[in-house]
Amino acid sequence: MPSQAIAVEPVTPGIGSDVASYAVLTKGLTKLFAKRTAVDRLSLEIPRGCISGFVGPNGAGKTTTLRMLLGLVRPSAGDGAVLGHPLSDAPRYLRRVGALIEGPTFYPTLTGRANLEVLARLGGLELTRVDDVLERVGLGGRGRDPFRTYSLGMRQRLGIAAALLPNPELLVLDEPTNGLDPHGIAEIRALLRSFADEGTTVFVSSHLLAEIQQVCEHLVVIESGRLVFQGSVEELLAARSPELIARPESTEDAMRLLALVERHGRTASMGELGGSLEVHVDADACWAGELNRLAMAEGITLVHLSERCPTLEEAFFEITGASANDTALRAAVSEEQDLGRP
Amino acid sequence: MILWSFHSEWIKLRRRRLWYGTYAAITGVVVLTTMVTIVGANNAVDHHRGPTLAELSRASGLGLGLTDSAILLGAVSLAVAAAQFGGEFTHGTLRNLLVRQPRRLHLMGGKVLAVLLFLVGALMVAAVIGLGAAFAMAHARGIDTSVWTSGTGLSDLGVALGDIALSVCGFATVGMILGVLLRSSVIAIAAGLALLLPVETILTNAVPGTARWLPGQLLNAIASGGSLHADFGTAIVTITVYFLVAIGATALVFVRRDVTA
Repeated sequence: MPSQAIAVEPVTPGIGSDVASYAVLTKGLTKLFAKRTAVDRLSLEIPRGCISGFVGPNGAGKTTTLRMLLGLVRPSAGDGAVLGHPLSDAPRYLRRVGALIEGPTFYPTLTGRANLEVLARLGGLELTRVDDVLERVGLGGRGRDPFRTYSLGMRQRLGIAAALLPNPELLVLDEPTNGLDPHGIAEIRALLRSFADEGTTVFVSSHLLAEIQQVCEHLVVIESGRLVFQGSVEELLAARSPELIARPESTEDAMRLLALVERHGRTASMGELGGSLEVHVDADACWAGELNRLAMAEGITLVHLSERCPTLEEAFFEITGASANDTALRAAVSEEQDLGRP
Repeated sequence: MILWSFHSEWIKLRRRRLWYGTYAAITGVVVLTTMVTIVGANNAVDHHRGPTLAELSRASGLGLGLTDSAILLGAVSLAVAAAQFGGEFTHGTLRNLLVRQPRRLHLMGGKVLAVLLFLVGALMVAAVIGLGAAFAMAHARGIDTSVWTSGTGLSDLGVALGDIALSVCGFATVGMILGVLLRSSVIAIAAGLALLLPVETILTNAVPGTARWLPGQLLNAIASGGSLHADFGTAIVTITVYFLVAIGATALVFVRRDVTA
């Protein structure tokens, strides 16, 4: 989609000369609010052309980080570059950046179209872009209705339309699926995919980890303002081993099976599903046959034996160590499971 | 880029409710004050009660009703301007604007121009209707209006309108400054009206000589072409110094402050 020349010369002190390879590059980015450190020495490397997920518990500093990238909040320390230009020169790169921060906020009495015209005029953009982006997000037929009459899903889509106005090279979206139903979430996911297919870098924050797993190839995890992980989703998941789940026919055999597995040098734990006990073994599918043979030899009949790969939630909780404390994130994960998502 | 910001702000100012509401309020103030001025006029000289019939039949008589409406026009202008600026913080729309126009002074400059043009436009429309009402009321009261349309009369009217437009712009500037500094339309309007109406009135009555230094009184003096407290030139110079300092400080705050709303 966008194919403007990349400026590589204004490399900021502290940022490497490979600044042009990244859509976003920061080094030691820090933000202090009074005595609270919202973002703590954050060094990001978001490659161009990918969908990068930005995850962290509520209050981890995601929105503050995005605001610093967009020139809304001044960093207390550190440096960075967006699309090859230093953070201190936001006007040079923001013409090629679209953003939706902390939900869609527009003028309630103006129509959706007029709201976009306000932004298009302000950015010196062609007004024809307004119709293009309204169509793109599926609001072509509702553009002349006042914003206050829009449903939550329509408001989110108008926010994304506003972000698309400058035909951006980098799209920064803060919780774009907030409050949407499963159908709306799927629509947004498809939209994000299509942007990436066109070459746009998408940096999207979300607390819906399953959504991130489905759509993102790159991931940044922060907690308490600090970087916990960045890299590909596969890298993160690979750090956790899969496990075998074995369910014996009789509940009494579960303890025997657990002991048997441990005797053979495997780490295992007991779990429960629908009133039945099951044994979780730290092993991949290659050991399933051996486990089955051992159980048979011991006179234990298995009614279920499967491999389960780790989910992003589990990896996330493991690396952040936040599982017990972050009830908000737990609730979000439960909500996803209730909706039947993986 | 200031022009982009101006065009953008103009779309918001064209909102039907805001447009009709502001124009109706300003026209209502002008017409009502004009009627009260003419109906209440008599032969006794009492500067607290407004002009006499003799003063109204002079060349400058046509603009006297307009001049009397200055403080109310100021209140409406302050409220509209404070709402336009404070509302961006209240609604959280400022962050959208700053992503599309990160040069904050350009954004501010365009908004200021658009709001001032909108208010001066409303004043001119109100003046035309108010002047029509003035002629009708003057005929009803038997006031001689023959010199109102003379060269001197029209010139005096032009000067009066210019003075009131300056005063309206001044009140609007106070509203914009408060909107940016207080980051809330409601608080900015309340603070502005409280400062310019009761607080200044109390100070003026309680401490002699203070009116010459109070912004609301100075803007009133400008609207009237000078007052008992300050002549026109003194009022213009003093308010210009105030605004240069206040606008400079506001611009600095607007440029440097983190946008967290």
